[in-house]
This record gives sequence, structure tokens and C-alpha cells, in this order.
Amino acid sequence: MVNYYPENREYFEMGCSMIEVRGLTKEYTIVKKSPGLRGAVKGLFVRDYTVKRAVDNINFSINQGELVGYIGANGAGKSTTIKMLSGILTPSSGEVKVNGIIPYQERKKNAQTIGAVFGQRTQLFWDIAVRESYHLLKHIYQIPDKQHKETLEMFIEVLNLGPLLATPVRQLSLGQKMRCELAAAFLHNPSIVYLDEPTIGLDVAVKTRIRAFIREMNKLHNTTVLLTTHDMQDIEEICNRIIIIDEGKVLYDGSLASIKERFGQKRVIHFELDLEGEFTLPAALEGKANVIPGEEEGKISLSFSSKEMNAADVISAVLGEYRARDLTIADPKIETIVHEIYERGV
Amino acid sequence: MRKYWELMKSQIKLDSAYTIWYWSGTASTILRVFVIYAFWSAVYDNRVEITGIPLSTMLTYVVLATLLSNYSAGVGYELANRVRNGEVAIELMRPYDLMHKLVALDLGTKITSSVRNTLPIIILSFIFIGINLPHTWFAGPLSILSAIIGVFIGAQLDMIIGILAFWVFYIWGLRILRNAILLFFSGALLPISLFPDWLQTVSTFLPFQSIVYVPVAIYTGQITGSDIYFSILMQLVWLVVIFGIIRLLWSFALRRVTIFGG
Repeated sequence: MVNYYPENREYFEMGCSMIEVRGLTKEYTIVKKSPGLRGAVKGLFVRDYTVKRAVDNINFSINQGELVGYIGANGAGKSTTIKMLSGILTPSSGEVKVNGIIPYQERKKNAQTIGAVFGQRTQLFWDIAVRESYHLLKHIYQIPDKQHKETLEMFIEVLNLGPLLATPVRQLSLGQKMRCELAAAFLHNPSIVYLDEPTIGLDVAVKTRIRAFIREMNKLHNTTVLLTTHDMQDIEEICNRIIIIDEGKVLYDGSLASIKERFGQKRVIHFELDLEGEFTLPAALEGKANVIPGEEEGKISLSFSSKEMNAADVISAVLGEYRARDLTIADPKIETIVHEIYERGV
Repeated sequence: MRKYWELMKSQIKLDSAYTIWYWSGTASTILRVFVIYAFWSAVYDNRVEITGIPLSTMLTYVVLATLLSNYSAGVGYELANRVRNGEVAIELMRPYDLMHKLVALDLGTKITSSVRNTLPIIILSFIFIGINLPHTWFAGPLSILSAIIGVFIGAQLDMIIGILAFWVFYIWGLRILRNAILLFFSGALLPISLFPDWLQTVSTFLPFQSIVYVPVAIYTGQITGSDIYFSILMQLVWLVVIFGIIRLLWSFALRRVTIFGG
């Protein structure tokens, strides 16, 4: 792992960081099931277990007020880390400290100071009106009347919740629900908020509003935010630091600017070619572009750095030797960057 | 404490909102009471009493037992569901004790249904079936006290099954088993005093009769005198024991918690 954040080290030693993670590891035991009816019967008596290491010796520390993007492919270990940070999961080994508290030992105390949004699940009370949900949260988090009223008024205005307050959560659209969820996560003025894919499935207008809200909260209360997402735009607009993990390990930890400099020029062009035989890289692209074979016959993708050559040159080099049915130029996706880092190292 | 109180209130508000659910619940209870009435009237057709119990006492017992057994379930199913679909993750992120929260919600539901469902049916039973008043004037309040403890015991037993969902993901089979045991040993079907002696002895060492039999038998006078106090004491002991077991299981469950689905 490469740490581009030497100043973190000092904070860690001074004990000023909000989240500290040292050697954090989580292993799951998974029951292996043999296929078929015979396997099912066998499974009643003999069970094979495999151990899966979802999070593998992770280290990082996050200071108060940082906006951190925590990214990686599906199943990379993001949610598992967040669950350990929020005290839901007990680590197999390693240390985790949030706000000076070991979350899994003092779950309730930790819960009082954190907020969370899970894009895939609702945390509002499903059957009751949004307003009632907020009223309940007020009591659950023991928010003083005055503070609750002021915060709620502000949220209603910023997130435009007014028309939604009387509606039960189950009748809200996804975008409406997510705005309500976000307000719920920030209602008790938590010092840390975990956002697990908060913009998943939302339209651009809602996404923009949500991003602005997160930045606003950070500016206003110096709230620390840990965000996981697959949307590069979320990261660009919200975060100033990113941590990339893959297969449970930290691959990159540093500023957004530096990763953009390294990988932002990454371009991928997808070709659909009329191929006779194998595809070989045209001589002009030798050493400058990488071939990513596609899943179907004739589909290949080329990745290259826009520093070294531009897209037009790549296309003309390929078209000089092959007949293309179709081609698309892809935006640099976070998955591509993660894949690239994983393949080649930082 | 306040937060649990608010949770309970929200559940009461929620339950009051579902009118169709309420009417169908009431209708099915009335139907069951009617069937019980018809059944026991037929059984008593040619005799005055069975092992010393006259028809009116028997009817009083089975009607009250049927109503009370409606309360023997708790939130175990709810908990098990949340464990299986992973929602328990969000519950664990809140600054409350999930066990206390579930009990609060359960109480909310039970308060609503006792006011809207049970109470009217008891009144109807007095008028149309002619069930008896409490055995003595003192047996009335004591049986209510005993019933409240019994409801807590039932809810807690259910919770144990819910917690088991952390180990056994599909608790359907366990629930069927529990329902069968409960129907029989709680005394929801028959007074336990009608069981053969050995079965009665077995039953006294189990917590199930505390849920239905003890409160109803205090009401009808099958448990009298100082036995009443002893029975209530036993109920309290069971409540404490089961509560302890739940706390222990829960702490184990939290330690091995794994959240499903992402």
C-alpha cells in the first residue's frame, strides 16, 4: 500500500484523527454447498467451510472534516469496512477507533455520533409519515427541541422536503426517499456520516441536490464523510481524498488530484470489428495501448493514456487495418482505474 | 426510557391506521369463540360436568384462553426477518437497544388490540355466551396481573426463536414446533388440570403454562388460595430466567453477527 498522506501520520501520533484503522481484517466463514439433492442431503450431516477474507489488513486514518471517497469494485470489502466502523460487525483482527471509541465494544455510544445512508436500504420507518419518522428520530437520538426544529426547518428548505412530510415512506419515489434518508442521517448533527452509494439509481437533478447538500453539511458542521459510490461524478464533486480498495486490500490512498493526474488521462475505446483470425495491435500503437479482449467475438477494447496519444490517432490506426462495425469512446470509469491499479500497481 | 415510549406510541398510531386488518382480526376471533362455544356445548350435551368442571366454567376458561393465546406470539418473527434480509444492520446503527425496541413495539400492538379487539369480545362473551365473573372478587385483579406477566413471558419466548435466526436462517420449522408446543402446554386448548397427572407434573416444570393456563385458571378458580401467589411467583421466576437467557443469547448473537446482502 502506498500512503500519499504523510501528514496523516502526524495526526495519528497526535491522536487527532476521527477514524483510525490499523491492520483491520474481517473473515467470513462460508458454508460450501455441494450441488444437487445429494449435496443437500449430504449438507445436513457434513459441512465444508471456506474462509473468505473480505477485508485484509487495512490501514488508514481520516481527520475531522475530511470528505473521503471509499471506492472499489463490487465485493471489494467497502460495505464490510463501513459495518465495522459503525459497530455492526466485529473485526476478526486489527484495531478500529472512531471518535476515540471502539465501535463494536460501545455500539450504542458510537451510534449516537454517526449517521448513515444505505442506498439499497431504507432506514426511515416504512409505514409512517416522514414527519413522524423525524419525530421518532428526535427521541431516539435525544435531540433537544430547539436544535431539532432548526435543523429540520433548514433541511426542509435545502432538500425541498415540504411536500413529502405527510407521506408514508413506502409511497415515496426513489429520489424523494433518498432526500428524506439524507436528512434523517444528518438530523442529529453527527460528527461522522457514512454514505453507502447514496446516489444509486437517481436522476441527475436529485444527484446534484444531494451532492450540494453533503458539501454544505461538511462546510457548516465540519462533518466527516466517508462515501462509497460507483459514480465518478460523486467523487469529483464531493471528495478531496480517495481510498481505493480491491479484494479487501488498500490499493491507493491519496488526494483526488493526484489520482486524476495519474489515471485521469486513461481512455478506453470499445471496437466492434469484422475479424478474420486473431486481433493484433497495429504497429503504431505498440507499447502505447493495451488490449482488453471483449466477451464476444470481434469485440475488443483498447486502453491508452491521452497524454501519449489522442483518441483520433488510435481510431485511425485501428481502422487502417480492420473494418469496424461500431465504436464507442468510454469515459474513464472508477472500475477501469481500479482495474488498472490492480493490474499494474500504482 | 422516553425513546421506547415514543416507539410504542408510534406503533399504536400505526396499528390504528390499518382498519381492514383490524376488522379481519376481530372477525376471526369472534368466529373462533363461536366455534369453541358450539364445540363445548356439544361435548357437554349429555352431562353436567367433566372431572368436576361444569359447562359455564369450561366455557369461561376456553374463551378467555383463546383470547389470551392471541397474545402469546411476539416479535420473534419480525426479528428473524430483519436478520435474514439484513435490515438488522440499520437497527444496530441506532443508539437504542434492539431488544427493548422490539418489546416496545410489541407492547404497542398488544395495547391496541386489547382495547380494540379483546375487550369488546369479552363483553360480547359475557352477554351472549354467559361466561362467569371472576371466581372471587380478588381473583379478578390477580388474574389480570398474572395475564400481563404471561404476555411478557410469551413475547420473550418468541424473541428467543427470533434470535436463533442468527444461527438458523430459516426458522419456519422452529416456529411450527413452538406453536404446537405452545398450543398444548400453555393451556390454550384445554385446562391443564384435565391432563393426566404425569403430564401435569411435566407442565409445572415448563414455562408455557404461565402464558395462558395460570392467569385463566386464577380467574376461573381452578387455582385458588395461596396457590395463586405461588403461581404468580413462579411466573415471575420464569420471566427473569427467560429474560436472562435472551440477554445471554443476544450477546452471543451480536458477537457472531454477519449481515446479509451487501
